[in-house]
Amino acid sequence: MSAMTAPILETRRLTVRFGGLVALDGVDVAVGPGETLGVIGPNGSGKTTFFNALTGLYTPAAGEIVFGGRRVTGLEAHAIARLGIARTFQASRLCLALSVFDNILIGMHARRTTGLADSVVRRWRFRREMGAALERAAHLLALFSRELPGRGFEPVGQLPQIDRRRVEICRALAAGPTLLLLDEPSAGMNPEETAELMRDLQIVRAEMPGLSVIIIEHDMFVIEGVSGRVVAFNYGRKIAEGSFAAVAAHEEVRQAYLGTERARA
Amino acid sequence: MPPLELLLQQALNGVMLGVMYALIAVGFTLFFGVLDVIHFSHGDIFMLGAFAGLSTLLGLAAVGLRAPVAALPLAFVAAILVTGLVGVLAERVCVKPLARSSPLMTLLATLSLGLVIRESVLIFYPRGADPKPFPQLLPQGGFEVGGVAIRYENLAILGIGLAAMVTVDLIIRRTRMGAAIRAVAQDPEAAQMMGVNLDRTVDATFFLGSGLAAVAGILSGLYYSEIHFIMGITGGVIGFSAAAIGGLGNVYGAIVGGLLFGVLQTTSAALIPRGSEFRDVVAFAVVMLFLIVRPRGILGEQSVERV
Amino acid sequence: MIAVWLSELVVFALVVAGILAERPAALAATGGALVAAAALLRFAPPLRTALAAGFARHRAAALAGGAVLALALPLALRASPYWTFVATLALLYVTIGQGLNLQIGTAGVINLAGAAFAGLGGYSVGLLTLSAGWPAWLALLMAPWIAVTVGAVLFVPILKTRGHYLALVTIAFGFIFNILMNNLEFTGGPQGLKNIPTLRLFGWAFTSKPALAGVELPAHANFYYAALLVAGLTTWALRRLHDSWLGLALNTLRDDEIAARCCGVSLTRGKLLAFSIGNLCIGLGGALYAVMVGFVSPPDFDFGYSLVMLSVVIIGGVDSIPGVVLGACLLLPLPERFRFLHEYRLLLYGAVIVVMLLYRPRGLWPAAVRRYR
Repeated sequence: MSAMTAPILETRRLTVRFGGLVALDGVDVAVGPGETLGVIGPNGSGKTTFFNALTGLYTPAAGEIVFGGRRVTGLEAHAIARLGIARTFQASRLCLALSVFDNILIGMHARRTTGLADSVVRRWRFRREMGAALERAAHLLALFSRELPGRGFEPVGQLPQIDRRRVEICRALAAGPTLLLLDEPSAGMNPEETAELMRDLQIVRAEMPGLSVIIIEHDMFVIEGVSGRVVAFNYGRKIAEGSFAAVAAHEEVRQAYLGTERARA
Repeated sequence: MPPLELLLQQALNGVMLGVMYALIAVGFTLFFGVLDVIHFSHGDIFMLGAFAGLSTLLGLAAVGLRAPVAALPLAFVAAILVTGLVGVLAERVCVKPLARSSPLMTLLATLSLGLVIRESVLIFYPRGADPKPFPQLLPQGGFEVGGVAIRYENLAILGIGLAAMVTVDLIIRRTRMGAAIRAVAQDPEAAQMMGVNLDRTVDATFFLGSGLAAVAGILSGLYYSEIHFIMGITGGVIGFSAAAIGGLGNVYGAIVGGLLFGVLQTTSAALIPRGSEFRDVVAFAVVMLFLIVRPRGILGEQSVERV
Repeated sequence: MIAVWLSELVVFALVVAGILAERPAALAATGGALVAAAALLRFAPPLRTALAAGFARHRAAALAGGAVLALALPLALRASPYWTFVATLALLYVTIGQGLNLQIGTAGVINLAGAAFAGLGGYSVGLLTLSAGWPAWLALLMAPWIAVTVGAVLFVPILKTRGHYLALVTIAFGFIFNILMNNLEFTGGPQGLKNIPTLRLFGWAFTSKPALAGVELPAHANFYYAALLVAGLTTWALRRLHDSWLGLALNTLRDDEIAARCCGVSLTRGKLLAFSIGNLCIGLGGALYAVMVGFVSPPDFDFGYSLVMLSVVIIGGVDSIPGVVLGACLLLPLPERFRFLHEYRLLLYGAVIVVMLLYRPRGLWPAAVRRYR
């Protein structure tokens, strides 16, 4: 693991509170460059809260987040995104009325070099940059499907679910991030779609070998397949860390899942 | 600094205005509760209630019925029926069909519907552009307590307003329909699964809220002795402000908000030089500040936004 | 290309004929022809696609043709100063509508105080010329920035409040503006400001009658051309902004704030920029209006006019730049043409908006997919 090299992301005693409720309780997590970290845990264990804190949507009550050697705790979401953290959401957050290309181009918004004056009076500069951006968007889409680039100017709402998830991943990749957060990408998918998703994630891996990834998943098959190291959450705390096999065998993890199983029954 | 008596007097007047505002605000908040929409034509329904009440009174006077004890209750009933039906119609035509699209859509649609109602009164009511004198049916005169003049008329307005609020509170808390309204406000889907008829409940809510606006309309006519087709714009904005101050979806919040707005208006009229001209500036400025500091109202909005 | 120009010419001729037709029969004939033309396009898809393709292929030519006809309109209307005035008003509403559309349509920043911002532009021109003694052209350049500056008091509410609450805050702002104009002494109270001096450019007073190609035009034609220039520039600039990073960022903020922020879009910068640019356009429209009519008073900028401005955007097409142009050019002149409808004007606006929202929520000319050309 990444004990030798400096981690790209490190949280120290990260804590998030909502009123009296402690949603995230002193979490220490580190991710190295090029590493894929899996995050598991029962519903309500604080996984998505962890992502929301990392991306600046929630302000931590205590602890700190260090990204790329910089303390980013308390920065606004857009500022953190510009530093190179991109994410997807559990429930798709695409703008369904906008085109497929628009939904990916917004990922490149932070890296634009042309401003308002270029958009209006020095339009050629803007056109040149936008031409390259559109090509890059088409290239990203082509990684996943041969026909998607041709549908770039269609509203994203017309695409099937699996392609929407791909567009969302493209949007995250378009930002050229150093850290990608995937929040349960297989949510709402059937087994075939999940298998396709795993293939897609391997494509991402191959395309950007230096990219660090943190993936939240309920599907243990996906977690085992894509992540090198796994952490488990329960009640906002990190309860286990290590290889998939070690974490899956961990007593507290088993109890956390069995407990919810029992509660469900 | 004006004398204490003047302030007390203004506070009392404020409470009375506040009761009328609260009656409008409760409608806003009920509609928001069941459908998560702002029914912006509600202000004009309030105006329509005043005109329906006036027409009834004029009609009754024409057939010789002038005794306030008989005429006034009939006017209330007629106005409540008219606004209730128009309210339900408004909901069926342009609130519910749009409730699932963006909030902007219902806001714009009801804003435009309000325009239609307003212009209809202007055009189709005889000499609709002029302010209409409203008959004085409440007992005149009054008494004085510690330098504060209390008029019977004002007491009657206060009493009718409070009675209307208590009635609505009882309907909401004690009847089956009230239980259905509360259930839908909490969670429309769960309520439906529990056997609540959603359409009927929404209709009932709009009838109830719009009926309250009619009560407010007649009270406003009795208080100012005059009604005008544009009274719905200010009435609507103030009612909406009061509901927002109280926290949308919260009935008690709306009442508190209405009273606060009334008192704010009258006390700023007393405290500020040329206050009677600028009282609404102060009141609206306070509402704006308030919404910045507490975007969800004093008692809190009922629905919760999720990230 | 010829077909494009020809169809533009036909529409132009029918509109002019419709405006100028005196006898009911003539009016009915031109109106019928317009309706027939619209129906033909509606029910003959091949013709429609062919024409659309023609316009798409010869965009530059189509725009040039449209510009020539717009320039020629005062010639056709020269007999009627009144109609020149109405056409100018429609152009001012194009400018205002583009600003409002950037706020509401593109960025989702609800502004129900459009009339107040137009009023800020208009009153600023009045005060700068009458009280400060500035020349009209300078006041006209300055006034929109005053609207933007005063609009800054809404910056905090825009960032802190959402949806309904923001709508309420802007309505309250409009009310406050109106009450203040009605009661402050330096703004002239209910009477407003009178005798605002007219525009004078390079020694040319806008009250003198211009001549075009040897034909004398009514004095209002001066303002027609000024308004045409302003509307054209605004539309051009806002179309380019819409089809740029800014437009994309604003649309994303409108549709999903959280996704936009996580893509590095600054909520603060986006919303405030959209609001301010919008107010600049609205204030400019109001300022030009004040110079044109020579006076401003509170009822010219009350809540009802905010609703008219909103109607232009909704009926034309929310977030649609050409839609705003179409909306303004339909909504302002139509009630003037049918004077018997004038009384019912607001009633009809209201009813039409409700029907549009129910059955055609994207407007007469819906926003197209951004192509970044």
